[in-house]
Order: sequence, then C-alpha cells, then structure tokens
Amino acid sequence: MTLALHHYLILAAVLFCIGLLGAFSRRNAVVVLFSVEIMLNAANLNFIAFWRFGANPELLHGPLFTLFTIAVAAAEVAVGLALVIAVYRHFRSVDLESLDTLKEE
Amino acid sequence: MNEVTAFWVLAAISVTGALVAVRKRNLVHGVFALLVFFAGLAGLFLLLLAEFIAVVQILVYAGAVGILILFAIMLTDRVTGKDAFRVTSRGSFWGTIIALAVFLVILLPTIREIPLVENATPKDMIVEQSSVKELGTNLIKPYIVTIEVLALLLTAALIGAVTAAQGGRASEKEENAE
Repeated sequence: MTLALHHYLILAAVLFCIGLLGAFSRRNAVVVLFSVEIMLNAANLNFIAFWRFGANPELLHGPLFTLFTIAVAAAEVAVGLALVIAVYRHFRSVDLESLDTLKEE
Repeated sequence: MNEVTAFWVLAAISVTGALVAVRKRNLVHGVFALLVFFAGLAGLFLLLLAEFIAVVQILVYAGAVGILILFAIMLTDRVTGKDAFRVTSRGSFWGTIIALAVFLVILLPTIREIPLVENATPKDMIVEQSSVKELGTNLIKPYIVTIEVLALLLTAALIGAVTAAQGGRASEKEENAE
C-alpha cells in the first residue's frame, strides 16, 4: 500500500469535522475558538497535500498559501482571545449561553 | 512502507489530539491535547516534504497560539468547570448531527469513487526543489504586495487586540483620574 492523495484528504475531512463538532457543541468561548483553529489547520493540510500530489509542484503555491493562512490565523487568534477577555470583563463569564443580551425576551 | 506507518501514526496522534481537545472538560488539559494535535500536523507536513511549513507550524501554533490560549484560559474563569455544569451547549445534539452530515458531504466524492486528481503520484524532484531558499524567492517575487498587506493586517490586529483586551479598564482609569 502506498500513500495517495485521498489518505490526506480524508484525514483533513475528519479533522475539519472534529473542529466543526467542537465549535457547534461546546459552551466555552475559548474551546470554540480553538475548534476554529483545528478547522483552519485541516484546511492547511489540504493545501499542502494538493501541492504535493498536484501538477506544477515547483511553483510552491501550496506552501505559500499555507504561510499566508497561518499568518492570518495568528492575527485571528490574537483578536479572538482579546474579544474573549473583553466579554469576560463585561459579563463575568465566557459561557456562550449566558451571552443573550441581544435576544428578545 | 515506512512512510505509510508514519502516516498512520501521525494521523492517529492528530485525530486523538483534536478529539481530546474538543471533548475535555478541563480546559488546560484540552490545550495540551491541542498542542499534541499541532505537533502531529507538523509531522504530517514533514511527511509531505513541506519542512518550512512544519517549522512554522511548531513556531506559530505550538509556540505562540498555545501560550496565548493558555493565558486566555487563566485570565477567564472556570478552568475545570463544576461537575454539575454541562460542558455541551443546548443545541449540541443538532451540532453533532450537522458535523456528521458535513463530513459525509465532504466524503461524497470518495464514496462515489470519483477520481480526484489525474496524476496522483508525488514527484521525486520536489525533494531538492522545496528548499527554503526556493520558497523565499517565490514568496518575495510575485507576492511582495501581499506580504506588505499581511504585515499591515498583523499590526492592525495586534493593536486592535491590545485595545479590545484592555479598553474597559483604561477608560475606567481615565474617569477615576478626572
């Protein structure tokens, strides 16, 4: 058995759905944030796998795009965690179910 | 054969890490599982001969992002959570269903055996072509504007993060001073 493209694609799909599961089913804002990180990383794995197995690997499009994704994801984590801390300061909780000020009574 | 074994081991490590990170009640344990996931993914990048991306993955994710999340957990409450307290949200049943449905939709091409890429064999010449020098040249030449925009975005994001994280307290201090 040799490794093919679909091994990596299925693994990335599994990881993406684990991240999706976490983002949908947890109450803590920090856990939701790092579930989003898991999903972004699964997408990066796809980029690298397609680069390695696709046409024209010498153009290095996969690693370049992954570099940009990682940089944007780092910015996203910084802003996201700052927002979590701001929300905690205001509501004294990071429980997403208690943040229902906008909900109609 | 070695490569296949390495793939399965790394895949098991990263899937387990991700599952534990998403499911663990204790958030600090969850973050450490997340670090294991990042390390496993870096190993997979190495397996795909993207060694620079693997190094960046360790540096940025396992280093910076992990520490940042750890700090955020320590600054907010309820690291472990009370035992009576539900970890999952109200709609978690439907969330699980939707996640499974998305998984099946993603896998539809595999299930229906549609060939994904025409020549699905990795080329051997990448080994010497994927050097960091090559990557740097390819990064600077066509994407110089993108890098500048990215630098601007990072600066703006960091300033915004600092403002958002300390905004309330800073204005309170000013009011007290007045």
